[in-house]
Amino acid sequence: MHHLLDILASGVHDAKNQLFVAESVIAALEAEHGIAMGEARYAIESAANRLSRTLAAYQVLRKDAAPAVTPVIVGDLCDEVVMAQQRHLALANITLSMDCQVIDEWLLDRDLVADMLNNAIQNAGRYAQGKVHLQADVEDGWLLIRIEDDGPGFPSLPPPYGTGLMVAHRLAALHVRKGREGSLHLSNDASLGGARFELRLP
Amino acid sequence: MSNYSKKRFLVVDDQPQARDALRTVAQTIGAFAVEFGSNYQDAIYRIRNNAPDIILCDYMLGDGRSGQQLLEELRRFNLLPDETIFMMVTGEQSYEQVVSAVELVPDDYIIKPFSPDKLVMRLDRIVAKKNFFAAYYREKRKQEFANALDILEAQRQSEAGRPYRFEIMRQQAEVLLRNGDAKAAEAAYRSILEDYEFPWARAGVARSLHRQNRLTEARQEIDRVVASTPHFFDAADLKANICMALGEHAEAQQILDEIAKKTPRNYLRKRLLAEAATLNGDAETARAALADVIANDTMPGAIAAKDRLAMARSHVDANDKISGEKVLVTMRDAEVQAMTLDEQAGFAALLAICSPERGKARFVGLRPALLETDLEPTTRIDVLRAALSIGDHELADRHAEIMMGGSDAKKVFGALRTQYALYGREKDFREIQKQVALKRIHQIEAEKTQTEA
Repeated sequence: MHHLLDILASGVHDAKNQLFVAESVIAALEAEHGIAMGEARYAIESAANRLSRTLAAYQVLRKDAAPAVTPVIVGDLCDEVVMAQQRHLALANITLSMDCQVIDEWLLDRDLVADMLNNAIQNAGRYAQGKVHLQADVEDGWLLIRIEDDGPGFPSLPPPYGTGLMVAHRLAALHVRKGREGSLHLSNDASLGGARFELRLP
Repeated sequence: MSNYSKKRFLVVDDQPQARDALRTVAQTIGAFAVEFGSNYQDAIYRIRNNAPDIILCDYMLGDGRSGQQLLEELRRFNLLPDETIFMMVTGEQSYEQVVSAVELVPDDYIIKPFSPDKLVMRLDRIVAKKNFFAAYYREKRKQEFANALDILEAQRQSEAGRPYRFEIMRQQAEVLLRNGDAKAAEAAYRSILEDYEFPWARAGVARSLHRQNRLTEARQEIDRVVASTPHFFDAADLKANICMALGEHAEAQQILDEIAKKTPRNYLRKRLLAEAATLNGDAETARAALADVIANDTMPGAIAAKDRLAMARSHVDANDKISGEKVLVTMRDAEVQAMTLDEQAGFAALLAICSPERGKARFVGLRPALLETDLEPTTRIDVLRAALSIGDHELADRHAEIMMGGSDAKKVFGALRTQYALYGREKDFREIQKQVALKRIHQIEAEKTQTEA
């Protein structure tokens, strides 16, 4: 029944293994010669994320995507996203800052959410003038993760609804807990003056 | 950042290129001592001999095995100290689904490709978490369960425990179950479920109900888990066990048949399949599964006397007493003497069935002990069969009565009826059933009078 999905998943899996071999070779050279090749590694990881996201999109479109929910320390999640994006943004003179006010664990799909946040920060970085901010809070029993920038904001709201956005909305909505459903909100309400991406998870 | 230069790493991957890549990453974060496990067997051998500090294990190990199976086997055979870090490495997104569902999980998993920095970040967190739980691990290892529970409860209420709340609750439930308090374990799992429908917590409820012999409820709970998470194989094992306890042996066998095909090298599951097939009267399937176990379970020390007895038993069931005898007589004297009382009883009974001239004397010699000792249901059935075969009605009926009055009554009912029928004693068996039922009624009435008084 899932024959095609299996073929795709196995192809993505093999490709990611190859990318890992490439990244480890680069990391070893960096350590050996003291040269920074962060951008090469960034490109490799972005390619891998892109592959994963494509597979996730396929599953979402087939309506057989299920979140893999585990308890996640929100601060750890934010740290990882910052680590993945900070250096790359710095090369474009963009500062990525982070403020996580959540101490407790949250129940979410760590890899799906990390991927959404990485993607949102990449987008913000494209339009920001010099600042992108990642903020995590708990309000009324919801986890709110916001990514804001100081760019011009979305030219129109809601923004054009492409496949990527559709998938992101669906992935947010897959997080269901106690009858409440996760959601995604895009606006120009950023305190930095630009666009705001807000993920709300129950 | 922790200092990883003094830690001993073990990298487990069947692909040389991927193995090298993992070693490179480990060396980049400062590791000096990096060992390789090139396959499943090799990994177990290395971990048994000298447990490393950190295991980086690929999810796909080839040859029908997975890193998850390795992890499960290590935990079950108690080869993995709580202090050892087990990190699953995977290119498969689907592994997340496994981790979010199953009961036995690694300390963490990381998806390829990843940078050395990210690995360090993940390892540092595991180190912090293991430090947090260090006192609990010590008490657990000493089997001081009351102390372990006290520590967990204090941690659950502490500020420092906030980031680990679910792990604390999960450990509490597991320790309660291990300590034999199935009722409290059930409550602990249910309180986790109030937060979220975790398949592992729902399975925990079913396991706790099973231990309380609340079989119908256990069955309902585990059905939910199996239906929603088909890749949670342990849940299917549990369902099969519950089905067997309910006397639904055909269904148990069917469930195990299906998942054993997906996990062809999981020999614990093959043993369970043999048990279900035996109860279901399918001696050939039991024989084939046990022959596979004995030939191919290369886990050191895995083939126990119990397995050989099960093999002999399935030959008897298949009406092949010569093969049964062969299995039994090839067991060395030292092995027989090292057996538990239960196994010795089974051995004597099976040999008496296969070869009266070789086994009857030993069996009859054990008779006084067999009348008095508390035995496992499987062994009781062996003893009952041997007793029936030599016409020792008293011994047979005694074990039938105990089994029919105990918590395994549904599980063994079919087997007992078949055995009595073989000797034309159906009527006697019905009489035993009747007596057991009457006794039960008297007991309930006595309890009632007592409460009323």
